[in-house]
Amino acid sequence: MDRRAFLQAMAASLALAGTGCRGRPPHGIISRVEGTAAVEVEWFATVMPSEGYGRGIVVRTNHGHPTKVEGNPDHPESLGATDVFAQAAILSLHDPVRSRTPRHAGNPATWEQFAEAWEIRRTRFRTNSTPILAILAEPTTSPTWLRQIHALLDDFPSARWYQHAPLGSHSHRGHLPEFDLAQAEVILTVESDLLYRHPAALRHGRALAGRRLSEPGKPLPPRFYAIEAVPSVTGAVADFRLPMAPARLSAILPAVDRCLRDPAAAPGLEPAADGFVRDLADAMRRARGRVVVSAGPACNDRIRDWSDRLNLHYGRDVVRWRRDVRSDRNPRCHGGLADLAAAITVGEIDTLVVCGLNPAYAAARDLRYGELHARIPFTVHLGEHWDETAMLSTWHLPEAHFLESWSDLRGAGGIASIQQPVRLPEAESRNAAELLHYLRSGTTAGSETLVRETWRAAGANDEDRWVSWLQRGIVDEPMHGDEFVTPPEDGTAELPPSVGKADGLSALFTPDPNVLDGRWSANAWLQELPKPLTQLAWGNAILLSPALASRLGVQNGDVLRCSTASGELDAPAWTMAGQADNTVALSLGYGRRSAGPLASGLGYDANLARSAESPWHTAVLALRKTGGHALPVCAQGHFQMDGRDLARVLEPAIASPALAPAHRTSLYPPRAGGNPAWGMSIDLSACLGCNACVLACQAENNIPVVGREQVARGREMHWLRIDRYVTGDPAQPRFVAQPVPCMHCENAPCEVVCPVGATVHSSEGLNDMVYNRCIGTRYCSNNCPYKVRRFNFLDYGGDARAAGGANPRVTIRERGVMEKCTYCVQRINAGRIAAEVAGRPLRDGDVRTACQQVCPASAIVFGNLADPASEVSRRAASPTSYALLDELNTRPRTTYRAALRHPPRP
Amino acid sequence: MNPSCDPLLAPGETLHSVTEKIGDIPLARAPRWWWAGLAAGFGGAMLLAVSVGWLFFRGIGIWGNNIPVAWGFAIVNFVWWIGIGHAGTFISAILLLLHQRWRTSINRFTEAMTLFAVACAGIFPLLHLGRPQYFYWLLPYPDTMGLWPQFRSPLVWDIFAVATYATVSLLFWYVGLLPDLATLRDRARTRGAALAYGLLALGWRGDARHWVHHERLYLLLAGLATPLVVSVHSIVGLDFAVALLPGWHSTVFPPYFVAGAIFSGFAMVLTLVIPLRRLYRLEAYITPRHLELMAKVLLATGWMVAYGYFCEFFSAWRSGDLYERFAAANRATGPYAWCFWLLLAANVLTPQLLWSRLCRASEWALFAIALVVNVGMWLERFVIVVTGLHRDFLPAAWGMFRPTFWDWSTFAGTGGLFLALLFLFLRFLPAISMSEMRTLVVQRESIP
Repeated sequence: MDRRAFLQAMAASLALAGTGCRGRPPHGIISRVEGTAAVEVEWFATVMPSEGYGRGIVVRTNHGHPTKVEGNPDHPESLGATDVFAQAAILSLHDPVRSRTPRHAGNPATWEQFAEAWEIRRTRFRTNSTPILAILAEPTTSPTWLRQIHALLDDFPSARWYQHAPLGSHSHRGHLPEFDLAQAEVILTVESDLLYRHPAALRHGRALAGRRLSEPGKPLPPRFYAIEAVPSVTGAVADFRLPMAPARLSAILPAVDRCLRDPAAAPGLEPAADGFVRDLADAMRRARGRVVVSAGPACNDRIRDWSDRLNLHYGRDVVRWRRDVRSDRNPRCHGGLADLAAAITVGEIDTLVVCGLNPAYAAARDLRYGELHARIPFTVHLGEHWDETAMLSTWHLPEAHFLESWSDLRGAGGIASIQQPVRLPEAESRNAAELLHYLRSGTTAGSETLVRETWRAAGANDEDRWVSWLQRGIVDEPMHGDEFVTPPEDGTAELPPSVGKADGLSALFTPDPNVLDGRWSANAWLQELPKPLTQLAWGNAILLSPALASRLGVQNGDVLRCSTASGELDAPAWTMAGQADNTVALSLGYGRRSAGPLASGLGYDANLARSAESPWHTAVLALRKTGGHALPVCAQGHFQMDGRDLARVLEPAIASPALAPAHRTSLYPPRAGGNPAWGMSIDLSACLGCNACVLACQAENNIPVVGREQVARGREMHWLRIDRYVTGDPAQPRFVAQPVPCMHCENAPCEVVCPVGATVHSSEGLNDMVYNRCIGTRYCSNNCPYKVRRFNFLDYGGDARAAGGANPRVTIRERGVMEKCTYCVQRINAGRIAAEVAGRPLRDGDVRTACQQVCPASAIVFGNLADPASEVSRRAASPTSYALLDELNTRPRTTYRAALRHPPRP
Repeated sequence: MNPSCDPLLAPGETLHSVTEKIGDIPLARAPRWWWAGLAAGFGGAMLLAVSVGWLFFRGIGIWGNNIPVAWGFAIVNFVWWIGIGHAGTFISAILLLLHQRWRTSINRFTEAMTLFAVACAGIFPLLHLGRPQYFYWLLPYPDTMGLWPQFRSPLVWDIFAVATYATVSLLFWYVGLLPDLATLRDRARTRGAALAYGLLALGWRGDARHWVHHERLYLLLAGLATPLVVSVHSIVGLDFAVALLPGWHSTVFPPYFVAGAIFSGFAMVLTLVIPLRRLYRLEAYITPRHLELMAKVLLATGWMVAYGYFCEFFSAWRSGDLYERFAAANRATGPYAWCFWLLLAANVLTPQLLWSRLCRASEWALFAIALVVNVGMWLERFVIVVTGLHRDFLPAAWGMFRPTFWDWSTFAGTGGLFLALLFLFLRFLPAISMSEMRTLVVQRESIP
């Protein structure tokens, strides 16, 4: 079956599945607002797992169907924002290829049959201390799950608990540094994607943006330094970014330390790094006490010790070490994946239960995990998909989606939330806590019961309290006061500063920004979403620096064979400006063999060249062209601005009034102002380029997925895209991300050329699309200088029509009509109705667009430009505000504020 | 012999021989090669039918269009066919008003070519709509919702321009045909043919009053058609010039499009007439003198087109505008540069061969040059449409256009349709105006 046929089949099955008028809400769930039964739209606070940590979210249901995820403003790890994954979760919830039935040796089976098979083993495990039962799971913060595993370990003398974190850990020696970016003056990240892939990424993004949003009279934003080999979302927004190969990384923090002690000391690195380190040390010295140093999961312990040390000395006011709430170092845990593999090799393991992980795909291939797994007499896999591990297991059991079951999670900051379901599962599935309870006791208990049981001591029996937890999405439990620790000053400082030798090529293994280690492979939104920085979609590539590419004579798309000590792989090349020379980046999460019809066979599997010992980087033995060519699909045409003044970058100290838009004359009469006069301001200083707005828009506006071939043809449908430009020296460039929605021009070029008047201006300044009137000449798109219009070249909407999560307030577009950003006109109307019902005028903030609401950095503000007190008016009036392509006199209602970045010190 | 002193009519032709030679073609049995030609054309038309069927079933997405290149082959082909359709009316109307007698033997044929080319052109704007079933919304008709077309859009002007042009061209052609239809009626060998031609002849009896009215009407229609020659392609040029895209937004477009249209029209006339006069042995009526004169027009309009190219680049440079300059540079050096250089070679360099009398006198050379110009003019439209669109203001939104099989098949299909119509015309109607040729015979005899 090809992809389109699959999408069609998906459409049909979902159409059938959704024939009920009203979704069935699960028993016992509580909406955000009391007494709202029988209204069309309801909101439910819950929590979403992100590498085991919880992030508060709020789920919107229309007529009982979950349709949209928003951040929970009450949750400290969300603050009302979400990342891309939370936005995409709603699509996974409605995914028809999710596993729905238990399978025994690959054949459909029932839970009862599993129960029979288990009962024999259960009695054995209860009494005997051999053979061994092993449980493999990702580290988690869920109190209920941890309670279950502890109970199981208590009851079964032979049970062992193994944990594997495929994406690494941000905590170091059991504590997670907690940064107060709102107070920091200097930020240094070392291979750390602090703003995108970190348990507290959303909180960090909000804090940094708060400092960077330009206001008159505000202190200067912090100086932000990043050292990394491959440009990340975080590195791209840093003021100063030093590309550095991982082998040389160990030398950098000692060099900083040397310069801190003695300003005259030579860092002893290569010239580019020397200047960087001197400047950094100088800044740190001046900001003593307010310095944040973050070393990411890919850094070795030494670098992370150094980072702790620098934080201790220079970051006392802004860094605390929180005892990690995730179970990585739980004393009862028996070990990691390598320990499990060793145990299997010696034949110790009789029964293995894998909860939610897919090690048969995602583990480094030199572990040969798949072979080992198949060697175990009895294996159970609990997962949402029929994946590589499921195929090798004796039993595969369907795991409940987190929006279909009860659980609980803690945020990185320790706050607990109850995870409540927003709809009933479509098939009989269980979550990990339910499974553990069953494995131990042989009796089934609902997930709600288990969660209530966990929280009984904290007051779950008090119904009012319980309801308030569910309404707010956070649990008010007392803190114990021992959450924080001080890391020991160990001896690393005394170690001789090793200078990274100028060595050969190294390979870096990076979780793919969209599908991570493959856990999001089956999500079509994330597959089609252009990846931050590379803008690749529907696949991965070997990233290499422009210098290396030209040395090897490699063009984008040339297939390379990359050999390491662990193995070799073939994949197309893609040059990445700003990547450290002599490195190749291999991204995880692709080359899946069993990831459903969408993702199986896309891209290459980086695990083939990865070793378990050094999972994040390794030496490349050989890199050569095979002669093949397979151009990856890229959603952006060109990454340079070519001298055009599009995404502007200014120094924070300069607020140039020259940027104020000049008012030009027009042949057409000026438009009457209108009140409200809707407008939007996008702050490029704050924008992280994290893509959350793109997916929020897709979810809110029923934007269809078009598939790999159509994206390759240039027909992606995203109403809001993020343009990414690279400026300066390609070896050490500066990145700017510029979200581009419809500009809602007052002199809209699209309106003049439409022969049937299908795109017209509203009295409130919206550039409206009348889908019913559009005949599809596409002249409007030609004449749009911003190219924000999207056309239904084929029946793309047919797939969206059937998707269960479609927003009923937004029309599904027919084949052959043009569509584009509407400023979320349905939200404007809903806001207006709500204000009228309440008998008051619309207030600033009543209407928030989907992109605005989700933005972790508050970079996007929407509102009434006719009201001088509104936030959008305030931002649009600031001296750094400008209109894109202002010289065309289109008078856009969407304006930008220039990105403020510190200039390098001379 | 000096071709410019060649007669427009071979010596020895009489009133009778003209009528017999030309009038016998539709009345006699069709030659073998005609069947072969019609089959080829019909096959092409069937390819068009299949392409259009698939297009309606699947949607515009079967073509290579995308965002930013939202217009592709459909518009390229539309402009190309419309351009070809210009020669007919130019030859018939403007040359009539200018008393160029050499138009006589080729006007009928070129008018027919015009009609068929306009028919082929007219298909494309409808096919290229996302929802072609609603094409009539482009027309101003009183509907119950009180909705009208949006008159600021050049696409609405297009509808009027092309529809008017097609109507006037058809009338002009038909009025010119009337005396000949009457001749065919009178010479018909079967009852059916006599009836058919009789009906079409509208009761023409060769009455003196008929001739007076006919000539007056013909002249009036020529007067009407003349401004249309200029207006149609000017308005097609405005489709581009009105847009604010760099490379499109230029006042040079209307006149430059008209010159290009006549250029391509004459090239197409030469392409078709040269084999035709051989096949039907019409060398006596379409003489080397005709070919030479057309070659000269080709050379002259070729220079106008070249001037247009120069102007585009000059104004892009002179404007000092970053985007305009980039668009011009991108044409010459971007990913589609090979199209641009090929078009310059075809449209500017190749016609220079026509300075040579030898070339103008050689049928083969003329035929080859005309073919090259046809290709060059198609490339010109491709360069305007595609390179204008694929890289505009925001580099991040740049893209590429790659035609698909269905792009080519639709284009080839209209070629087939054109050929099929042309062969049907040759078979059933006189390809050269008998009445006007007879006038030429009389005029020659009256000149001592």
